[in-house]
Amino acid sequence: MRPAEAARPPKARRVWLGLASVVALVAAYTLLSNAYRVVDPSLLPDPIRGVLRPQILPPTQRIFDAFVQLVGAGASPVGGAYVHTGDHIGGLVEQRVTLQGSLLISTYRVLIGIAVGGSLGVLAGLLMGWSRAVDEYAHPIYILFRSIPPLALITYVMLWLGHGTAHVLLPIIYAVFTVVVIPTYHGVRDVADIYVKAARALGAGGRLLLSRVVLPAAGPFVLSGLRYALIIAWMTTVGVEMLMADEGIGYLLIGGGMWSSRLEVAGDPAVIVVGIVALALVGYAMDAGVRVAGDRLTEWVKR
Amino acid sequence: MNGLWRRRLWRALLSVGALAVLYGIASEIGSALLPRRIWMVAHYLEDVELLPPYRSLLEETVFLIQSGILPRSVLVSTARVFEGLALGAAVGVPLGLSMARAARLECLLDPWVTFFRFTPALALLPLYALWFGLGELSKILLIATAVAVVTLLGAYQGVRDVPRVYLEAAKSLGASKGLILRKIVWPAALPQIFSSLRIALGLAWVTVVVAELIKATMPSLGYLLALAGAYPRVPTIAVGIVTIGLLVLACDAVALGCYAVATRWMKRSPAHA
Amino acid sequence: MPDPRRRRLEIRDVTHVYEGKTATRALDGVSLDVFENEFLAIVGPVGSGKTTLVRIVAGFLTPSSGVVLWDGAPVAGPSPERGYVFQEEAIFPWMTVRDNLQFGLLAQGVPASEREKIVAELVTLIGLEGYERAYPKELSGGMSKMVEVARVLATDPAILLLDEPFGLLDAQTRSKMQDQLSRLWEEKRKTVILVTHDIEEAIYLADRVVVFTPRPGRVQAEVVVDLPRPRSLETRFSPAFLELKRSIWKEIGRA
Ligand SMILES: Nc1ncnc2c1ncn2[C@@H]1O[C@H](COP(=O)(O)OP(=O)(O)OP(=O)(O)O)[C@@H](O)[C@H]1O
Ligand SMILES: [Mg+2]
Repeated sequence: MRPAEAARPPKARRVWLGLASVVALVAAYTLLSNAYRVVDPSLLPDPIRGVLRPQILPPTQRIFDAFVQLVGAGASPVGGAYVHTGDHIGGLVEQRVTLQGSLLISTYRVLIGIAVGGSLGVLAGLLMGWSRAVDEYAHPIYILFRSIPPLALITYVMLWLGHGTAHVLLPIIYAVFTVVVIPTYHGVRDVADIYVKAARALGAGGRLLLSRVVLPAAGPFVLSGLRYALIIAWMTTVGVEMLMADEGIGYLLIGGGMWSSRLEVAGDPAVIVVGIVALALVGYAMDAGVRVAGDRLTEWVKR
Repeated sequence: MNGLWRRRLWRALLSVGALAVLYGIASEIGSALLPRRIWMVAHYLEDVELLPPYRSLLEETVFLIQSGILPRSVLVSTARVFEGLALGAAVGVPLGLSMARAARLECLLDPWVTFFRFTPALALLPLYALWFGLGELSKILLIATAVAVVTLLGAYQGVRDVPRVYLEAAKSLGASKGLILRKIVWPAALPQIFSSLRIALGLAWVTVVVAELIKATMPSLGYLLALAGAYPRVPTIAVGIVTIGLLVLACDAVALGCYAVATRWMKRSPAHA
Repeated sequence: MPDPRRRRLEIRDVTHVYEGKTATRALDGVSLDVFENEFLAIVGPVGSGKTTLVRIVAGFLTPSSGVVLWDGAPVAGPSPERGYVFQEEAIFPWMTVRDNLQFGLLAQGVPASEREKIVAELVTLIGLEGYERAYPKELSGGMSKMVEVARVLATDPAILLLDEPFGLLDAQTRSKMQDQLSRLWEEKRKTVILVTHDIEEAIYLADRVVVFTPRPGRVQAEVVVDLPRPRSLETRFSPAFLELKRSIWKEIGRA
């Protein structure tokens, strides 16, 4: 059945409208965030007075400054004239925390999570989808473990693994694993099944069956699972880094502080906005990468 | 059919039971063999039960319930999850519906939806803490944001996927725009809205736990975990984790039930039966 | 020769081209008149533009050139006056049989008691008593198609547009459905346009059969069916029936 294609504007117009909406909002924000220069906020009525402050709504140019500072932080001399240790950005610059460095570390964590958790998840999904016995024994246990939010384990895992690399990576791997299992499982059980029967009737078996029938048939499902896993992996990575890591984009966002006293240092909204925008861009780029690669790998799928 | 389910149930009980017994044995051996002093960053942690046996788990559960800590924590966290869910869905669903129906609105909002889709909701926590304080409001708004994004996409896709023939059939029967929205678009999109709500509920729990771990202002499940982790008291951590797991499980079961009711008109493939 | 009957639908030189990567000319200069209470059948090969023509008459498609007049006025958009049964399955799966049947009435603001009455009549008409509260998933393909036909009848349209309503049925169910439709027509005497691949079905049901050429669709021939009504199994084996069938096949062979 054809889906409802409401009259959609042509592509050029879509892009134009989207761009216009971004530009308009950024412009409106710039005006609003700079309003405190023109009018004395203390004269304004209460809720507006509280909001129209650069500490709450950082002016656009300050966000840009923060971006420049964070990109250049690695090169700047420690204790330069403009560094105020104790505030968010000053602390980061002093520790030579750069935006690109933080993103690199977080990306690396996400990729490890996808590689390890993804392979384990695909394996588990394959087994459960392939064999009914494995499914019936393992599925209940999987559901129990899936119900535990990965970051809830963090305090316990630390006791076993100490405070280090493995401790940070484990929740990410765990999160990716739980997300990837189900699409793979459904791909194998519900979709590949009929093709497997057909291929068996043609005399195929073993490795051939797995590599030529099961994996391609389940492929699109695994890929869409991976795309969702990417989002979950970033979410978990940022969470872990905010909670306990000493580096990475989550650390940059929260600006340091010790475990459970984090967030007590008043954050600098300019730094946070820079971090958030960077996260969105990297997340989008990675998703687009998987999408393009996936389309190549599963060209045969009807669209 | 009946026999099939009985076998499934039997196998499920067997494997979960085996896991429970295995833990029992491991914890007994563990309490004899595992170290109780652990080196952590700069100092020793004393008296750590890495694998607390059932006995101490039970004692801890009784204590946490009788002292009222656990019930209160459950209540606080669950309330946050559902307040955030309600708020987020109240924003996300109507927005998703209207985006799918109004082409110009869709074009205008599209970049922002994409932006929020790839922004991990947790990254907004420091910003919300700054804007709304460390208390209740920032946590609920954080959950609501995560929920809104997911339900918006679900509602949008749900409407987009309504087969055109239904809209045309309704139109040729003389239905007004409002009637089409109420009787065609809404029920046809409802299954996808419900499955997005189910995903959102899971996400809400993940979000609330992290928000509470980072900064708790009230006794709550995340706070319990953070506190127990600082001592550390493993039985408390374990009870906290199991409680969260059970709550997530129960919420998911309820969401699944709602989904089943909302889609009782749908044909089901035998594999799902 | 002026026709004494009232002319309701006039299709004047209608051409339709689907624009797209490859432009498809689906209809090429089709002219047709449909009269009050007439049962018209359109037969033609796959892709000959039958659905295209019906969608133009229903008001979902504007022809590239030419006009369609309904009671003398150009068709502008869909209306319950022209009841359209789609080629695809269009029964609303989330509504019970009853709610499907009364949807058009609901759209017109007919009060509930009146709706109930009409629904009860229709349910008897299509022989689905006891299924009022069933969801379409519990119906067979033929049953749900009959519900679609009855759903359109509920609002008492002036013309029925049926696009291959029995296309997917087996031969037995199909002939049963044809009898039911025939009976229904005897009772209600509506103006009908029926699209079908099945020449026997066309002859059995219609007053006049129009044969389309392969794409782009043009009217290749018109055959008047003057078999007596009510028609029955006997009709299908009468010499006149076979003679009509032969002449239509001849027309198709000439294309
Ligand atoms: N929406 C569309 N866009 C582009 N081309 C179309 C569209 N709908 C139909 N066509 C093309 O127009 C031609 C006529 O299609 P139409 O559906 O009217 O044929 P039909 O006679 O109803 O065929 P069938 O007997 O298979 O139902 C076909 O070649 C088809 O490919
Ligand atoms: Mg057709």
